[in-house]
Amino acid sequence: MDETEAALIRRCQAGDKEAFEPIVRRYAGAACGAAYVRLGCHDEALDASQEAFVRAWRHIKRFDTHAPFFPWYAAILRNVCIGRLRHRARRRTVSLPDDHRDPSSDGDPVLLAERSERRDRIWRALLRLTPDHREIILMAHFQGMAYREMADALGIPIGTVMSRLHNARQALRERLSEGES
Amino acid sequence: MNCGEARELLSAYLDGELAPDRRQRVHEHLDACDACSRELAALKGLTEDLNMMRFREPEDAELQRYWAGVYNRLERSVGWVLFSAGAILLLCYGAFHLIEAIVEDPAIDLAVKVGACALVFGSIVLLVSILRERLTVRRADRYSKEVQR
Repeated sequence: MDETEAALIRRCQAGDKEAFEPIVRRYAGAACGAAYVRLGCHDEALDASQEAFVRAWRHIKRFDTHAPFFPWYAAILRNVCIGRLRHRARRRTVSLPDDHRDPSSDGDPVLLAERSERRDRIWRALLRLTPDHREIILMAHFQGMAYREMADALGIPIGTVMSRLHNARQALRERLSEGES
Repeated sequence: MNCGEARELLSAYLDGELAPDRRQRVHEHLDACDACSRELAALKGLTEDLNMMRFREPEDAELQRYWAGVYNRLERSVGWVLFSAGAILLLCYGAFHLIEAIVEDPAIDLAVKVGACALVFGSIVLLVSILRERLTVRRADRYSKEVQR
């Protein structure tokens, strides 16, 4: 973590809400994108990522300023998204049409930087993968996590990370080739 | 190492996540196998594309609205805690005095007294039960906890 961010976090830990604003601004794009990959709905991704920032603020005193902020926040965001997916699954028993939303149905790649035709196609194919595969690709590529970090975050052995990521990439290649044919 | 074993390890090979001895074995297999080398090249192309993909930075107006949403929630969460604590306190106080007044009033029928007591104690039991359930679920559910770092 750079000095400025560490200093901001320390001010947050002292209760200064204004110091939280630059941190939220810095990571808002990555936060919304990560939530979107998991939830598949722009409005819900916005809401979940904001809720995760609120939770991060509530627990900011426990945060070790020597560690980077975003991985800690990303773990909180993951928990928020899992909670929402569970809630959505429970509500499905009463058949609410909006809650059946799948990421592939709303896959406009507006959240991507430096778009190209190829990247747009990869994005749409990514959103058609299973939740486990979407998540591991998000962590490996968009969040740049190493295998050990992913294993710790997901609570799975490193060998499972290896096979899951490989399977996710193969599934993505298949989705892309389906789109081309 | 056969092709099946090698292909399972191609992603980790590309990511530089294999132990040196396994990496060497995959490398040797790739030198001798054109099909697996082509597979590696295809996987490498996709991996490079994925590595270049980033989420866009929101524009300033979007960020302003986003921060306002977070800030409002921070303020409201304090308000909700105070509101809930105050409401629980007042409800308990009111329920206690209501029961006291009903029990001590000789003009009120015994059935009404028993009914009022049952209503208040039933509400307390339900509240405690819900709180206990929430706490039990929270303890058992790893996703409901915040990450400590």
